[in-house]
Amino acid sequence: MALQFDQVSYRYPGSIQGVTDISLKIGDGELVALIGASGSGKSTLLRLLCGFAAPDRGQVRIDGEDVSPAPPERRKLGVVFQDYALFPHMRLWENVAYPLKVRGMARDARQTRACEMLARVGMAGREQDRPDLLSGGQRQRVALARALVFGPRGLLLDEPLSALDAGLRAEMRDEIQRVQRQAGIATLLVTHDQEEALSIADRVAVMRDGRIVQIATPHEVYDRPAEAWVAAFVGQSNLWPGTVAASGRVETALGPFTCDTGPRPKGERVTLLVRPERVIPGAGPINGLTGTATADRFLGPVRRLDLSVPGGTVKVETHLPGLVRDITIPPDAIRLLPAEASLSTAV
Amino acid sequence: MTLRAWLPALLSLPGVMIFTLFCLLPLVAVLAGAFEGGGSAFGRLFADPVFWNGLQGTLLLGTLAPLFSLVVGTAVAMALARFAPRMRMAALVAVSLPLTFSGLIIAYGFILLLGRSGVIPQLLAGLGLDPAVTGAFIYSPAGLGLAYSYYLVPRVVLIMLPAIRGFEANQIAAARSLGAGPLRAFAEVMLPQIVPSLIAAFALCAAVAIGAYGTALALVGTQINILPLVLYSRISEGTSDLPAAAAASLILVAICTAVVALAEVFRPAARS
Repeated sequence: MALQFDQVSYRYPGSIQGVTDISLKIGDGELVALIGASGSGKSTLLRLLCGFAAPDRGQVRIDGEDVSPAPPERRKLGVVFQDYALFPHMRLWENVAYPLKVRGMARDARQTRACEMLARVGMAGREQDRPDLLSGGQRQRVALARALVFGPRGLLLDEPLSALDAGLRAEMRDEIQRVQRQAGIATLLVTHDQEEALSIADRVAVMRDGRIVQIATPHEVYDRPAEAWVAAFVGQSNLWPGTVAASGRVETALGPFTCDTGPRPKGERVTLLVRPERVIPGAGPINGLTGTATADRFLGPVRRLDLSVPGGTVKVETHLPGLVRDITIPPDAIRLLPAEASLSTAV
Repeated sequence: MTLRAWLPALLSLPGVMIFTLFCLLPLVAVLAGAFEGGGSAFGRLFADPVFWNGLQGTLLLGTLAPLFSLVVGTAVAMALARFAPRMRMAALVAVSLPLTFSGLIIAYGFILLLGRSGVIPQLLAGLGLDPAVTGAFIYSPAGLGLAYSYYLVPRVVLIMLPAIRGFEANQIAAARSLGAGPLRAFAEVMLPQIVPSLIAAFALCAAVAIGAYGTALALVGTQINILPLVLYSRISEGTSDLPAAAAASLILVAICTAVVALAEVFRPAARS
């Protein structure tokens, strides 16, 4: 079962907000995370897929079938809402059994199925409770059970972890992945949390201003971002404008760098990406810089430093203690991206 | 004792006086009046078909007008809940305006609008409809119910709006995604959660509709049989039977109290 956007465009009536020319296919059993800043169109895509909005152009397909005109109740998609949207007047088992009730299943049968599903998400023994007795994580589990109990054709998760504490978030992340794998169901996870996306998604789709700017595996999005904006949005990054001075050599405000310039001609304007964890403290034979730390943040497993060097600032991540003055940037740590008109738009 | 200790008592004194003078004393007087002569007033009342007709009319009007208002008011509240805050405030002020008008003004307003020489029957006359027929509607029981709804609907809106705004709209989206159509989602997910407020709104409107008489008197005189008008005629007509009037008013008070008590029973549920 696959979920698919085929050249979908949508504008909110009377506004310029919306999504443009979206093509995205989520394969059977695949988990795709949709990330982007707020207002980038993530929630709009979700609404289009759920059936709460119809595309102006293009098609939304489920298993190849165009469902664009179908209302939400005919799409057979399990949705976990940001605030879980459990029904407060129903017991937990009744919440989970609701989609089965709608489909006309007899009471005993649906109670049995609902209780099985609750057990699968670790909520056995709480079947008779009401949602207001539950913690955020427990609500999340019940919402997940309710979204999966009726064998949906796809699973949609709208910022499922945003309401949880940091500690619980990591736990629920694994839980969602486990249940999703077990169900083997095409899943779209909408999130603004890039760590969440990178850690559980098979592929990540990055949205910016209503368009998908990159769809790739988490590794690729992190290591080979399509543009400087993606690099800035996903993870920490050093981004410097530069110009190809010669093959293997780029000029920047911080000085010249040696790196792989590929087939780029001399004089081409580029953006250099260096992830802070790839910067090595200590002097080296090439691409060495010297400066003074203007900020030194201890984050537990790592230290994050801002090193002021002539011509700019270098973000450095290291687990080593001690004063950092000299740094080296290995040539293979530098990735050249297309020049960005204004890096200030990057987050 | 210091002033501080006496202050609460002092502050509550006007309230206690008003309550005693205008609620407790009349009630006692009515009670005494009704049972004057060993309760024979009730016998006379129950033997009178006018009373039974009035009771029937009151119960009918006191059920149907609130029900109609409930449907209209809930729909209005659902629309208001979607408004932007500023628009909602403005609309709410407009909706609440009828509450400040007296029943008499409302009656005359309806006569000007819907009476035999009113604006609408005159307009309809242009379509060939006899104003004598179309203009008679407002003087019928249904017309009276409509006039009552004029000031019942705002009460429904004021009670229902917080309940509807408190309802998490995503639940409807969730129910839809789980396979329920829009009507089913409303009936099974939203309705059960706003029922306590619906009952409270109905009870309040019923109490108001059962007790009101100014609008009815101005619109239909004593032609329509409802309990407040039966009571009115017992007092005002030459053959005034004050004990019977007291008995009728006791029954009226009892009905209203029962209805309001019903609302009180459901109020805690509305809060949780």
